[in-house]
Amino acid sequence: MAGRTRTTKRLAQRIDLDYFKTLRGIPRWRRMLSVAFAAAGLAWLGWHGLRGSPAPYNAGPVARSHALFGNKCAICHVSTAGFEKTVSDRACLACHDGPIHHAEQAFSPACSDCHVEHKGVLRMAATSDRACAQCHADLAAKDKNSPPRFIADISDFDNNHPEFAPLRSGQKDPGTIKFNHQVHLKEGLRSPKGPTTLKCDYCHQSSGSSNRALMSPIDYEKHCALCHSLQFDRRFTEAAPHKEPKVVYEFVSKKLTEYIAAHPDQIHTVDEPDKRLPARPVPPIPRNAQEWIEQRMTDAQLLLWRKACKECHQLSYPNGPDSLPVVAKAAITARWLPHAAFDHEAHQLVACNSCHSRANTSKETSDVLIPGIQVCRQCHRSDANAAEARCFECHTYHDWSKEKRVNAGYTVHSLAE
Amino acid sequence: MIVTVVAFVICLLIYVFYAVRAPGGPRGGSALGLTFGIAGYALMLYAGLLGARKQVPVWRIGRAQTWMRGHIWLGLLSLPLILFHGGFAFRGPLTAVLMWLFFIVIGSGIVGAAIQHFVPRLMTTGVPMETIYEEIPHVRAQLRAEADQLAATVSGAASEVSTLVDIEQEDRERFHQVYLDKVRPFLENPDAGLTELSDARRTAEVFESLRRLLASPVHPVLDDLQNICEEEHQLSRQVRIYRWLHAWLLVHVPLSIALLVLGGVHAVMALRY
Amino acid sequence: MSEVQLTIDGMPVTVPEGTTVFDAARMHGIPIPTLCHQQNETPVGVCRVCVVDVNARVYAASCVRQAENKMVVTTNSDKVRKARRTLIELLMADHPSPCARQRQSGDCELETLARLEGIAQPRYPRRLSPRGQDNSSLVIAVDHEACILCDRCIRGCDEIRHNNVLGRRGKGFMAGIAFDYNLPMGNSSCVSCGECMVSCPTGALTNKSVVKTVLPGEPVSVDDLLDLPYFQKVSGTFLDLNKNAVVRRHFKKGEIVCREGEYGSTAFYILEGSADVSLSTPLAHVKSGGGASGFFKKLTSQLVGRKQERREEEGERTSIPIDASVDLPYNNPVATLGPGDLFGEMTCMSLYPRSATVQAATDCVMLEMLRNVLDIIQRNKTLKAQLDANYKKRALDDHLRSVPIFASLTPEFIDLLREKVELVRYNKGDVICNQGDIADSFYLVRLGFVKVLEPHPGGELVLAYLGRGGYFGEIGLLAGGTSGEGRRTATCTALDHVELVRIRGEEFNAMMAQFPEIRRSLETAARERQEQNRQRLTTATSMPLDHFLAQGLMEAQSLLVLDLERCTRCDACVRACADAHDGVTRLIREGLRFENYLVATSCRQCRDPLCMVGCPVGAIRRRNSLEVIIENWCIGCGLCAKNCPYGNINMHPFTVMANDPVSPGRQMAVVKQKATSCDLCTEHAEPSCVYACPHDAAHRVEPNEFFRWLGTPLETEARR
Repeated sequence: MAGRTRTTKRLAQRIDLDYFKTLRGIPRWRRMLSVAFAAAGLAWLGWHGLRGSPAPYNAGPVARSHALFGNKCAICHVSTAGFEKTVSDRACLACHDGPIHHAEQAFSPACSDCHVEHKGVLRMAATSDRACAQCHADLAAKDKNSPPRFIADISDFDNNHPEFAPLRSGQKDPGTIKFNHQVHLKEGLRSPKGPTTLKCDYCHQSSGSSNRALMSPIDYEKHCALCHSLQFDRRFTEAAPHKEPKVVYEFVSKKLTEYIAAHPDQIHTVDEPDKRLPARPVPPIPRNAQEWIEQRMTDAQLLLWRKACKECHQLSYPNGPDSLPVVAKAAITARWLPHAAFDHEAHQLVACNSCHSRANTSKETSDVLIPGIQVCRQCHRSDANAAEARCFECHTYHDWSKEKRVNAGYTVHSLAE
Repeated sequence: MIVTVVAFVICLLIYVFYAVRAPGGPRGGSALGLTFGIAGYALMLYAGLLGARKQVPVWRIGRAQTWMRGHIWLGLLSLPLILFHGGFAFRGPLTAVLMWLFFIVIGSGIVGAAIQHFVPRLMTTGVPMETIYEEIPHVRAQLRAEADQLAATVSGAASEVSTLVDIEQEDRERFHQVYLDKVRPFLENPDAGLTELSDARRTAEVFESLRRLLASPVHPVLDDLQNICEEEHQLSRQVRIYRWLHAWLLVHVPLSIALLVLGGVHAVMALRY
Repeated sequence: MSEVQLTIDGMPVTVPEGTTVFDAARMHGIPIPTLCHQQNETPVGVCRVCVVDVNARVYAASCVRQAENKMVVTTNSDKVRKARRTLIELLMADHPSPCARQRQSGDCELETLARLEGIAQPRYPRRLSPRGQDNSSLVIAVDHEACILCDRCIRGCDEIRHNNVLGRRGKGFMAGIAFDYNLPMGNSSCVSCGECMVSCPTGALTNKSVVKTVLPGEPVSVDDLLDLPYFQKVSGTFLDLNKNAVVRRHFKKGEIVCREGEYGSTAFYILEGSADVSLSTPLAHVKSGGGASGFFKKLTSQLVGRKQERREEEGERTSIPIDASVDLPYNNPVATLGPGDLFGEMTCMSLYPRSATVQAATDCVMLEMLRNVLDIIQRNKTLKAQLDANYKKRALDDHLRSVPIFASLTPEFIDLLREKVELVRYNKGDVICNQGDIADSFYLVRLGFVKVLEPHPGGELVLAYLGRGGYFGEIGLLAGGTSGEGRRTATCTALDHVELVRIRGEEFNAMMAQFPEIRRSLETAARERQEQNRQRLTTATSMPLDHFLAQGLMEAQSLLVLDLERCTRCDACVRACADAHDGVTRLIREGLRFENYLVATSCRQCRDPLCMVGCPVGAIRRRNSLEVIIENWCIGCGLCAKNCPYGNINMHPFTVMANDPVSPGRQMAVVKQKATSCDLCTEHAEPSCVYACPHDAAHRVEPNEFFRWLGTPLETEARR
């Protein structure tokens, strides 16, 4: 280190005073790259802009049902006020009708509040629970009726959905047909065809093959008549028609009249009392056909009104005990859940009595045998490994009874090119 | 910094509350989403203004240090705000690009802040003979000239040499040869790795062997040349460390400019659609 | 006249009585070698080289021995020659051969004799005179080692020139010639006539050839020079030797004689004609800073004229000091010089840059001379009287009035002063007054730089540098009052060739009595000075002395330090400085380090401001507080930049519009160098560099404070 000395002056004089004025090296690249990147970004956007395509501003893939024209943004993004092209209800309503939920609701959300597009290839109709919950979670504030007709606080299925209305607060099946499920489901029932074991679907079948079809109503001829036929007299194998008492009366009367006319020698016979009926004094021998018919009619009526019909129906004698009875209306509930659409077809895989488990032990007609919400929740939960439990699975927002047809008028060409 | 933490906590609570209840899920375009978006963009703009502030350093609009701290903390706050704005989703092409740019910018900023915290110390301890980076070529030229002059005192090449070290002619020639073979090529291209001197660890050895080879009157000159080579090595080290110190800006600054520009376009276009 | 007959070398000769043997021999063609004998001087016979055998007990020195009747003189017998030879050999043993004269002109008489005698190497060990060399004279080099004490110079100075400067001193081996009371030749009353040098046989007194400079111009013959009154007492031989050092120059009307800012080494003396002296640099200062009002101002690399921005204290200046007998008035910096005026003294004597531009107003004839010739004529009493009279007549009142405190002196009083003032001259290093001396005069600085200092155990504390227009000595005089017992409060030394206007105590007191307001201003100024000095003193003594040598950091009063552990080398500080100062940065991020701090290259506001020494126009000065500023008439000579030991002042070119000298009334773009330096950004609350650093790495700090930081770990809060 002999000769070299470092002094401030010598060090400082090595430096050119204006060195910082020109950009070199990293700062220069920094500036160039800044301009380049910004320009590239704008060029990319400009390229699309010049082609008239708002593709860069796409917020995500469209739903499956709109995929056909997913890249034709202008179909939905219609200009409302000059520059703005937000999607308004009008764009949706051009192709779809969305009837109102019901007239008294506090506010009507816009289509896109619940049906969110650009969230990926999924179903538009699969709205989230929160869409419904915006009213139903606090119905008292949102429903103009007071008090509201529905439970005021429903926000999801798992935790916050009330028990199904028929099962709440000890409601009973209003049906008047006396029926004991437990007896009928025993094994080896006596039937004209030998010992039979009845399955649920012998009586209960879906009314159609469309989704959410109701169960067909129970029909006497199909489901009951084989075992429970209306015999009215030992002389006849024919059963009485399963109709109003008056019709039955006339049928029986006619039949007896025709018989005694064909077999006049039987006028003076007296039948063995029917052991199925309560004992009564032996009637005198009929003197003529008329008396014979009367005696037989009385026996037949006893058999029918007091036994056969009474087996299932509720009869009342408003005009006295010897008059024709009035049969109470069957009142078999066709649809237990009026605000939800249950689809038995979709649940074919489940055994009937897995859900309707109470049927096996039900003895009373008044038992309500539809499954409670707990049964549904065993499969329908908000898990990944569970069945769909969102509101739309059972309920609808739109009142489809008021649906109107929409004709947007698109040509295949304009959509498909 | 405290302001940032408090603001973050408040915004987090607001977001969680909102995200859970929004019917369509959290959206950038809802009122709250827009608020987050505007706040986030405003913070990004402020962060970007640091560059502008540095262009007018004399204007008394706040100390550079205050701006820098604001840049770092408020810039960090913009991260959760923008995430809240976008609902933690990437969505379409432009917004995906923006999110990526955003993450890279914030990430590079954090990395850069760490670099600028630790690397200056490395530079200070590792390069005692540091000079101004932009002037390194200029200084290197002066070092070459100095070395040439030193060599001229021995080999008597230059005509304006005033003192000549007192040695034999053949020694002079030997020195001259050594200088031309080993030292000068290194000084011309210190980073090229052409000669043995390019390896900093071997410089001492090389000069030791030169001292044994050449007569003792030349040794002071050799000492000085060794010192010059040492300085060259340090300057090379300075270049390397400097690049570490500043290279991240090549990512951070251009991308942030692109981010601000595209972000502005996004704001306009998203509201349009 | 009686005659004497004698025999010399067998030849009978007859000579008048009283002739010396030497002369007798010479008259008859017999040469006898001599050393100390010179024809035009009284012989003294000290060297004994001229000894001859006169058949007496001892040999006789022929130069002093008078010829007698019947004397038999042998001048070159073997014994005589042997004696001569031994003498010469002995003299050569102590002679630094080849001596200066031998080298210069090959005619050292001693060495010539030695060569003739065939003495190559004396047998006796060499022992040179311990008195060394004396280079203080500008024209003659003194080498005591070569002196053979022959006395020729003394006799030349006494007998021929009657200046009586030289004498002998010392005894034995320490004996030698001396000037006055053994002063260095340059500081003595020697008038540089050159007679001693011409007389000297050896290289003891030789002509200092002032470089191989050949001045362009018409050489002046020695005769012409000797015609001029102020060369009359100068040795013709000497002038002949120096004839390239003075030339006659002819300038046509309008020709530029010299430009401000140029470096030169000559002075000019006007023989005929008149010349205009002016500052052609536009009086524009390098605008520093935008300040709060600079928010919307566009800062460009421009020089801002005085009309646009006036510096504080600008209104007080009345004149600009330059290197001539007149000062330039501030508002219109032009003056005229005529025959008999000398200008360029400081450039010639102290090698400062030219302070102004001189343009011939009429056709002129001037003498241009180098330093040695100027020194000769300045020592000439006639010329000195003339120059002094010139100064007193033309410049004294301007000069006095240029000192703001004396602005109110009446012309009558100045006339009074004119006769009473003295112009005194000091050479480099001379002490003008010592601390503690009785105060008897008041001094105004006319030329050169005076250092005012207080001696201290650890060194000296420089209180001020005074250049032209400065004054000192009033504190002592005021303290003494009329009793004249006041003491000097500081030591004043001359830094280079200094000329002072000396006003004696009586006149000074009269001035105080007659002009009470001047007295009051002086007293106020004196009080301020003393207060500043006291402050400087207290800070000086509180310095830890073990850091005293730390690279001169202790000289500083304010350091710009960059914490290298926080600095990201982003150059924000440099850019901010440049933005605040017209695109020229006043700080460089280079320098020496202290631990992890870099002491940046930026003005340190030194206690001892070396930068101020030598400014030819007095443009660099200190404001009331610390900062050093450069005034608007800086001519860009670069001396301050050269003087600053730390490289804190840099020259930078600026483009300005100036009057076109060729076609008046038009402007043209000129590139002008101006000196730039850090001024601590006093118009802002804190310096721009500190303000602009994003990482809190730049700090302006006092050295004591700085050293405290070094010892302790970094504490950021304490720093703020």
